[in-house]
Amino acid sequence: MSNAAATLPAAGGAPRRNVDIINAGMARRRAAERRFRLYGRVAIGLGLAFLVILFASIIANGYTAFWQTHIRLDIPLEASVIDPDGKRDPEALRRADYGGLVKQTLRGMFPEASGRRERMALYGLVSTGAAFDLRDRVVADPSLIGQTVSLWVPADDDIDMLMKGNIQRAAPEKDRRLKDNQLAWVDSLAAEGRLETRFNVDFFTRADSRDPELAGIWGAAVGSFYTLLVTLLLSFPLGVAAAVYLEEFAPRNRWTDLIEVNINNLAAVPSIVFGLLGLAVFINFFGLPRSAPVVGGLVLTLMTLPTIIIASRAALKSVPPSIREAALGVGASPVQAMIYHVLPLALPGMLTGTIIGMAQALGETAPLLMIGMVAFIADIPRGAFDPATALPVQIYLWADSPERAFVERTSAAIMVLLAFLIAMNLFAVMMRRRFERRW
Amino acid sequence: METQVVTMQPNLQRQSDPSESPLRAPTSPSAPVAREVRGQTVGELRSRDPRMRCTDINVYYGEKQAVKNVNIDVGNNEVLAMIGPSGCGKTTFLRCLNRMNDTIAGCRVTGEIMMDGTDINGRDVDVVPLRAQVSMVFQKPNPFPKSIWENVAFGPRIHGLAQSKAELEEIVVSSLQRAGLWNEVKDRLQEPGTGLSGGQQQRLCIARSIAVHPEVILMDEPCSALDPISTARIEELIDELRENYSICIVTHSMQQAARVSQRTAYFHLGDLIEVGDTKEIFTRPQHQLTEDYITGRFG
Repeated sequence: MSNAAATLPAAGGAPRRNVDIINAGMARRRAAERRFRLYGRVAIGLGLAFLVILFASIIANGYTAFWQTHIRLDIPLEASVIDPDGKRDPEALRRADYGGLVKQTLRGMFPEASGRRERMALYGLVSTGAAFDLRDRVVADPSLIGQTVSLWVPADDDIDMLMKGNIQRAAPEKDRRLKDNQLAWVDSLAAEGRLETRFNVDFFTRADSRDPELAGIWGAAVGSFYTLLVTLLLSFPLGVAAAVYLEEFAPRNRWTDLIEVNINNLAAVPSIVFGLLGLAVFINFFGLPRSAPVVGGLVLTLMTLPTIIIASRAALKSVPPSIREAALGVGASPVQAMIYHVLPLALPGMLTGTIIGMAQALGETAPLLMIGMVAFIADIPRGAFDPATALPVQIYLWADSPERAFVERTSAAIMVLLAFLIAMNLFAVMMRRRFERRW
Repeated sequence: METQVVTMQPNLQRQSDPSESPLRAPTSPSAPVAREVRGQTVGELRSRDPRMRCTDINVYYGEKQAVKNVNIDVGNNEVLAMIGPSGCGKTTFLRCLNRMNDTIAGCRVTGEIMMDGTDINGRDVDVVPLRAQVSMVFQKPNPFPKSIWENVAFGPRIHGLAQSKAELEEIVVSSLQRAGLWNEVKDRLQEPGTGLSGGQQQRLCIARSIAVHPEVILMDEPCSALDPISTARIEELIDELRENYSICIVTHSMQQAARVSQRTAYFHLGDLIEVGDTKEIFTRPQHQLTEDYITGRFG
């Protein structure tokens, strides 16, 4: 009986056992399995390879920007230059000609430099930021006046490039940014131990500058922070409220279908269009300030809202209906069921969607260009209404700059941006893990 | 659409309100049994001491009619069991009793469900207090993914039943005790309710329901996911709860219906075929379909 059940009538008449038929096909099936796994591995391998190439090239290009060549100058702080009145008035101290002192020091070190051209070349060894460093030092401690201070000041970006091997000494003089006399001065400074590469604190504490050695990422980072803060404060509550209403309360009819389709459409709108909208509506119509993070935040809110709404709706959908029924079954009102039970369960998914939306907003450039956040801003913004730029825009600006030293700074800024993005995504993963374990 | 074969038998049903007479149902054992009744229920539709009285209940899912012209009473302090093959509309009907069908898009309920002199199926009835009065235990245990304490305290808290923390605590403890779960969970009230076994979870859901002091408890196959020991505990519990509540239970197990209920209703393809004392239904079914089902000829 059982034998008969395990056989099928074969075409030839002799009964074949099912297991023979299955075994005959097994080799093909196993090959298909192996092939499929191989495809998967190749796909992942390729993806990882590209990621590694990307990171490797960015890091290789950019890591040198975290170090900066400094020159040690022994600057005599002459009271007659800094504080001729002798009153130690902070305002007067602030306004003194420190640049002149730096130049005087350089002339003293290399008296052979004569003539206007040579002197300009000599002054070009040191960054214009040296005068500011000196000023800060004196204002902080006026008792130094009259003494000679030994100060490490940033070298000019060309010297920095030379020390990092980006300027070829072997090239003919006319093709070099540094001339022969400058090379000789640099060599003698190096011989005296007055040249040193130090960690580039300025890069992390300053805003943009025309001088690469003074340009920093902090201004853009603060601008991005305010922009994202505005975006988060607007898009999270709006997105969650919209998602909750559409998913839990809205009737299913033609209107809600239309809204749903349009939210999905909105997610696919090119971001520069949002920038144009922001320019037309927020700046031209409502008269909000140009280049301000508040406008950037508004525009990025429009851009991230669909992402957050779609993610939040998916999170709400994934809450089992039995939870809603349980709450309704003991007499909870729909809002109570939602707030006490559905929302807490959907929150990790909503937060993940929000952080992914925020990460997208952090990396967004095009709409910010349209609303003027591409302007050159040398100050660190102090609020959402101050002119500011953002990290990706800063990268765009530096990538566009002709100075060689901006090449490595571009890559360094990309590294900073990527670090923020990775941190945000890690945070999203952590939140998810943590909340999911609790429930 | 209804091909009614009306038996011309005097109306002998024990009915508290004689004005409900359009519902004809032969009850006399000697009466010829209607074999081809469609849309017409045989047996004792009405209870002597009704808590809810359902009249001409029809439920439609879009175009499809899931429950057809059902008339039945839910008595005070009695367990009403609803049996029938899968898809016969018994759960759908049960969900009418506390308007849970409202949550299903495209579901339409017509008819009248009288409770305390109001039609709870009325358009202007607020379902929130209704569901506190008529609470529901579901087929699959569905504790909230929160602590055991929070599960039970949720209902009293949202309804504002406890004036103080101590009062809330008393409600939680007594609900757990009445659900027969207290001894098992008293040392771990702060642990998640989802960490309990299936049977404990279902008793937790029952505790959650009785914490709001409902008057009627609806149970939708509460034991279908449980082992025989847990089932036996819940059946004991149902028997105890009957003293204070009216209970409607949907079950696939005829033995369970026979064990726990006083009255039984048999549903078939959306029709309520027969209602009567449980003993009567299981020993002397009047309708051919009922007989076929309980003798295991189909279903």
